[in-house]
Amino acid sequence: MSTTNPDIEHVAKSESFGGFTNPFEKKGKYYKLRRLPIYLLTVVMLAPYYWMVTSSFKGVKELQEVPPTIFPKKPILGNYYDSKFDPTTYQQDVVQGLFQRFPKVQFGLWRFFFNSVFVDVAITSLTLFIGSMAAFVVAKHKLKGKRGIYLVIIGSMMIPWQVGLIPNFLLVHNLGWLNTYWAYIIPALPKAFIVFFFVQYLSSIPDELIEAARIDGAKEFVIYFRIVLPLMKPAMIAMMILTAIGEWNNFLWPLIITNSESMANLPVAIALLKNSGAGNIGTQGPLMAIALLVSLPTIILYFLTQKHFVRGIALSGLK
Amino acid sequence: MEKPVTKKTGFRRWSDGGISSYLMLAPFLLLFLMWSVYPVIASLRLSFMRYNAICDPQQAPCGSVGLGNYTTLLFHDPRFIKALTNTSLYVVGAVILGMLASLSLALALQEDTKSNRILRVIFFLPTVTSGIAIVMVWGWVFRGDGVGLLNAIVAKFGVNPIEWLATPSFAIPILIFMSIWGGAGFGMILFLAGLNSIPAMYYEAAVIDGAGPRERFRYITLPLLRPVMVYVLITGIIGAFQIFEGVYLLFPTSVGSIGGLKDMALMLVPYLYDMGFNRFRMGYASAIAWILFFIIFVISYINIKATKSLEDLR
Repeated sequence: MSTTNPDIEHVAKSESFGGFTNPFEKKGKYYKLRRLPIYLLTVVMLAPYYWMVTSSFKGVKELQEVPPTIFPKKPILGNYYDSKFDPTTYQQDVVQGLFQRFPKVQFGLWRFFFNSVFVDVAITSLTLFIGSMAAFVVAKHKLKGKRGIYLVIIGSMMIPWQVGLIPNFLLVHNLGWLNTYWAYIIPALPKAFIVFFFVQYLSSIPDELIEAARIDGAKEFVIYFRIVLPLMKPAMIAMMILTAIGEWNNFLWPLIITNSESMANLPVAIALLKNSGAGNIGTQGPLMAIALLVSLPTIILYFLTQKHFVRGIALSGLK
Repeated sequence: MEKPVTKKTGFRRWSDGGISSYLMLAPFLLLFLMWSVYPVIASLRLSFMRYNAICDPQQAPCGSVGLGNYTTLLFHDPRFIKALTNTSLYVVGAVILGMLASLSLALALQEDTKSNRILRVIFFLPTVTSGIAIVMVWGWVFRGDGVGLLNAIVAKFGVNPIEWLATPSFAIPILIFMSIWGGAGFGMILFLAGLNSIPAMYYEAAVIDGAGPRERFRYITLPLLRPVMVYVLITGIIGAFQIFEGVYLLFPTSVGSIGGLKDMALMLVPYLYDMGFNRFRMGYASAIAWILFFIIFVISYINIKATKSLEDLR
């Protein structure tokens, strides 16, 4: 066989992506045509987002049109806030805007935004802090019994979290924490996966760095803050994004621990809004508006941190 | 000369970090024991009891029922059997089709071009989007009247509006579709990482030996992707068994419980929620949780064992 085999050249040229050849590889004159299904699928992927955005700017009359309109004929902001709305009188084509809903909750929708942001920031920062400290001890300290402790932590990842759901609820209930931020935050702090991920990451860091500091007489806390934390930055960022997005979208636990409207987080607020309107077409516009407002922050965070995010997931899957 | 023996005292006897090792481990460990370990044990105990969160666990009407919850669930509870069959059908469909979709996407979008990078972002978007927000849009897509998006499409072909969410045979396919739409991009990222970790020289060697693209895929790519496949499979199964949001919001029933018409979309976790938090049958719900755990455990175990023995065969 000659060395000018075109296949070899193709493989060599494509080294940037691992020299891969697969059934979809770029070959033959129908390459563009074979890509067509992918582009069609993209439409399916984006359609719900498109629908969410456009419907939130359609008036209640337009939302009832058969067939539905693809472009909003006359975009309006009424689904978010309608200054013409008056709770005492019924007016045609006027809906109670999203920010005018939940009249019994102080600050309305803003309260749910605050709940979600506050809980998310608290959980993410605390869980990373205690998780990374524990991982430092497990990965870099000689400690009697740490192997057993780590085994239990890893083993707990095999158990679906719903198994502990009812005792968790009973604990929160007996502590009198229902409808409080404690119930949101405290049970969410010990995340086995985060410790596991950090231990994996730390085991790739040479012990000498830490030993050297120890010989210089540095205290363990100082080593943690000055040496370990800076070294863990990439792993920290990856886990920070994953945790923040996961908590933002959390639904089942907040649903269980809140029965007063004002303590709901945003996903629960969506469910509250949906159940209050039960299929009523006047609620559909505000529903799309709140769906958009809840989705946007995580999508923006994802765009800003895309590289770290994808790397974090890929790492977690490969180890 | 004799070496000076430094006698370790206090916490130094157990740890080279001294007491600070324990202080740094303690916050995580104590929370973990309280909110992760204890609840699992407590839930096992509850699963042998009748309990409603208010009564005294030692006295009637509460108290131990032995294996009662489990025998009732498995032999005398048609709703549970319905939830179990629905969940099984859903898991099989969602995991198999989801894996195929993820792998195809990863293969199709592997080359590092600008358009592929954009496409990857698009397919990954659902992973970061609030599940509840997306379910709201699906609720609209599958609306039963002419306003619904899917009905507007089928109307183009002269079909009358269909009650998608009130037709029992559609419930599980719709939930499977939602799962693939929402999860394919996540699997894709894992497969992409796996594909990119395969050394290029294997392919070069194969090309020199005269292997075509098909052989290279069959004999290099697929075997080397197996660890990622097992990971995607196991996490996919565990995730699919825990489906809740779509059922809770799209398939309510008129009597305020979950599952839709004739329980057509009733699944294990929604049933657990219904029993535990609508009817406060906490013991019964704990037994459901343990059956869920048992199923997931057995499937993961078989998966890992099967891949091990497959690897031993070669």
